[in-house]
Amino acid sequence: MLDTAFLVRRQNPGFLLTSLSYVGGLLVGLTVSAVLLVHAGVPASALVDEFLIATFLTSDGLSQTATAALPLVLVGLASGVAMRVRFWNIGVEGQLWLGAIASTWVALNGSGPEVLRLPTMFVLAALAGAAWIAIPLFLKLKWGVNEVISTLLLGSVAFLLVQHLLFGVWRDPSNSFPVTATFPEASWFLVLGWGQLHAGIFLVAVIALSIWFVMEHSRVGFYADAVGFNAKAALATGLPVLSIAVGLVLLSGALSGVAGMMIVAGTEHRLNQSVGNGYLFSAIVIAYLARAKPLWVVVISFALGAVFTAGNVLKVFYSISEAMIVLMQGAVLMSILMAQFFSSYSLKRPKN
Amino acid sequence: MTTALQQAGDMRQPLGTPAALLMRGIGKSFDGKAALRDASFCLEWGEVHAIVGENGAGKSTLMNVAAGVYVADGGDQSIDGEAISLRSPLEAAAAGLGMVHQHFRLVESFTVAENVLLGFGRKAAVKTLTDAAAIVSAKSSEIGLPVDPHKLVANLSIAERQRAEIIKVMLLGARILVMDEPTAVLTDEEARTLLSFAQRLSRQGHAVVLITHKFREVAAFCDRVTIMRHGETVLEGARVANVTEAEVARLMVGDALTVAGRPLSRPGDVCLSVERLSARATAHGQSLNDLGFELHVGEILGIAGVGGNGQEELVACLLGLDRAGAGAIVLDGQDISTAKPDQRREAGLRVIPSDRFDSGLIRELSIADNLALTTVASGSFGGPFLLSRRAMREKAAEAIDAFDIRGATPERPASLLSGGNAQKVLLARELDHGLKVLIAHSPSRGLDMKAAEFVRSAIRRAVEAGAACLLISEDLQEVMSLSHRVAVMNRGRIAGCRQTGDVTPEWIGGLLAGHA
Ligand SMILES: Nc1ncnc2c1ncn2[C@@H]1O[C@H](COP(=O)(O)OP(=O)(O)O)[C@@H](O)[C@H]1O
Ligand SMILES: [Mg+2]
Repeated sequence: MLDTAFLVRRQNPGFLLTSLSYVGGLLVGLTVSAVLLVHAGVPASALVDEFLIATFLTSDGLSQTATAALPLVLVGLASGVAMRVRFWNIGVEGQLWLGAIASTWVALNGSGPEVLRLPTMFVLAALAGAAWIAIPLFLKLKWGVNEVISTLLLGSVAFLLVQHLLFGVWRDPSNSFPVTATFPEASWFLVLGWGQLHAGIFLVAVIALSIWFVMEHSRVGFYADAVGFNAKAALATGLPVLSIAVGLVLLSGALSGVAGMMIVAGTEHRLNQSVGNGYLFSAIVIAYLARAKPLWVVVISFALGAVFTAGNVLKVFYSISEAMIVLMQGAVLMSILMAQFFSSYSLKRPKN
Repeated sequence: MTTALQQAGDMRQPLGTPAALLMRGIGKSFDGKAALRDASFCLEWGEVHAIVGENGAGKSTLMNVAAGVYVADGGDQSIDGEAISLRSPLEAAAAGLGMVHQHFRLVESFTVAENVLLGFGRKAAVKTLTDAAAIVSAKSSEIGLPVDPHKLVANLSIAERQRAEIIKVMLLGARILVMDEPTAVLTDEEARTLLSFAQRLSRQGHAVVLITHKFREVAAFCDRVTIMRHGETVLEGARVANVTEAEVARLMVGDALTVAGRPLSRPGDVCLSVERLSARATAHGQSLNDLGFELHVGEILGIAGVGGNGQEELVACLLGLDRAGAGAIVLDGQDISTAKPDQRREAGLRVIPSDRFDSGLIRELSIADNLALTTVASGSFGGPFLLSRRAMREKAAEAIDAFDIRGATPERPASLLSGGNAQKVLLARELDHGLKVLIAHSPSRGLDMKAAEFVRSAIRRAVEAGAACLLISEDLQEVMSLSHRVAVMNRGRIAGCRQTGDVTPEWIGGLLAGHA
């Protein structure tokens, strides 16, 4: 029966249909996640407790969620701005590592006035992230090398570089793990006194607002959409295609780099082997679910931060593994993407 | 219209055997637009039969019906005397008819042998790659078209691909071979090889259909010729020996040369001059060789020509999308040949591309966005950095009113517009105050009569108001009715240029067919 039906692309799926499919997908994804958790040994009654009450309705949970969301917002924006010009940045983690390395270097070797320590870390982290994405960008522009592969592989290279440093010159001799020494306090974001939440939240707020403003209210965002949808038409109508694409891709790398700084200066206060883990996948999930819209990136990053918070609780109390959290993210992403299919296409039967 | 010619067609010798392919009263519409009306065709065994006609005449559609790619809306068809109604190319192949399409249909990442194996399907006797390669080699030497069965299709030249396609079709059992404009992509030498192969095949008793634009090939290699115009057969199966090139040209072009309606303005000073323009070909395109022309203020210069003779490349050069070429492009005394697209726009160049959603409009963006694409840079919507969406919407609402764009609101995506209304959006954007030279490439292609007339009169008015227009079109009627002068483009050059009043069917037909 199915082979006599065919798919027709909907011309103009309305707002209602789009939102319904989005919410429907979200519910399916959450249900799948719940089933997975119950199957892994979490009592069904605890789900509500851990998820809703512990993460959203307790002060501890909220501050943890907010803290976890900060780097997520940055990588989500990073993935999103590149996506707007159809550049698939699958190397968010690599750029994040480079940003972490650059800011660690400043923190460990920092001299000069202490007030300049964090600003220097910020600038160098952004530059390092941008430099790391400049390589695949150049390869793509010059020889058409597919950025999906080059950014992804450079991510592994960056991780090897981190290991090289952690097992080598930066290793803290007083620690049996491959980690750097704790940073001097001048390189910490000020802790605000609400859980772990730190002053990095102001930086993230300023960055997110600026990007929202640039992408939604300036000609940059307008050009970016034109370039992303149809670069040939954009070129033919005289738009600055190259500078827009290059600018936003470099911005993407810089944002990832700053995310690396946010983690080492905000919560870890040192560089270790796991600070960047999992951010690539989260970045893609966030940017996709937010459809690369900056304000939605913020909202979804907080939702994902909550998943991390809940995940931490589950880890501690029910010895659920880290992988389960990634699995849950995946389940939610896949079901929302599948639901989008139904708002984009309708199923038709041939007339005779 | 019964002429001596058509009688010549009817007087052919009855051969006693049933026709290889007989088509009667074939009709076919796409989206309510008729591509074929009452078309007919008769192919005998042992002949090479040419089908000629302008672009869009319905040649490919007719043969696609014959090959089971399209199902006709009406009419009868028989192969070797047996009435059939084909529903798929596989059924056509089973009946002994194979077609080599204008755009090849081989899987590029497979070898030739793999493609042949794929074509055979599951039930065939040939099951292994070794066998497939062996029969490809055997067939290849039998018919004298060399092809290496183990080469990847992606690595084959155009001519080799075509040979592979022919061998595949023959191996699937074709005794009737249909080739859709096979020589358009070949060099003269390759074309000669292919055409003599076709002749050999017919002498062995097969039947060959050859779609072409070139009278030279018809005269030298074909036995009979069928001419199509506007979806109808205007000359059916005349012996080639009985027709002249001039007659063929006139029948192809029809009454296109009698319509009038060009702008009332009289051409003034030169405002665009192109000299010795050369550029490389795009994929499957034609390079430009030493092309030149002059365009005057208040003038429409029509460039006629069969598609694929360098029109796309010319537009890309003028627009600044391809800046690798050599030559001078002078607009209003200013050499713009190295300028970027936005600088050329600033100098007064505007364009209506042949494929509006490829390089003119952006489907996903709203109508307001599309209208603003070219003017945001000048700061007319909110200054040097900010963007006022409200100003864009207001401007769009004015344009929608002024150009009577149906089904449009500023916020709707451009993809929802019908062809004619999308073209109006493009006109509203391109025919602005800064316009000096308009490049209009097939501006009414795919539009219904009313929309086409709207587009033409908008261009006419713009030229009367002091602009100049280079009208590049495959539609002769359009070129003849709008232009002050007519030039013909062939193989990347301007093959000839005349005042419209001096154009004769023989002259234009000869140049179109590449005979000058
Ligand atoms: N698949 C299709 N969908 C819609 N219109 C088509 C299609 N194929 C052909 N046409 C239209 O049918 C007419 C005849 O086209 P075609 O047979 O390709 O002409 P020719 O081969 O003589 O140049 C043209 O107006 C063309 O736009
Ligand atoms: Mg054709």
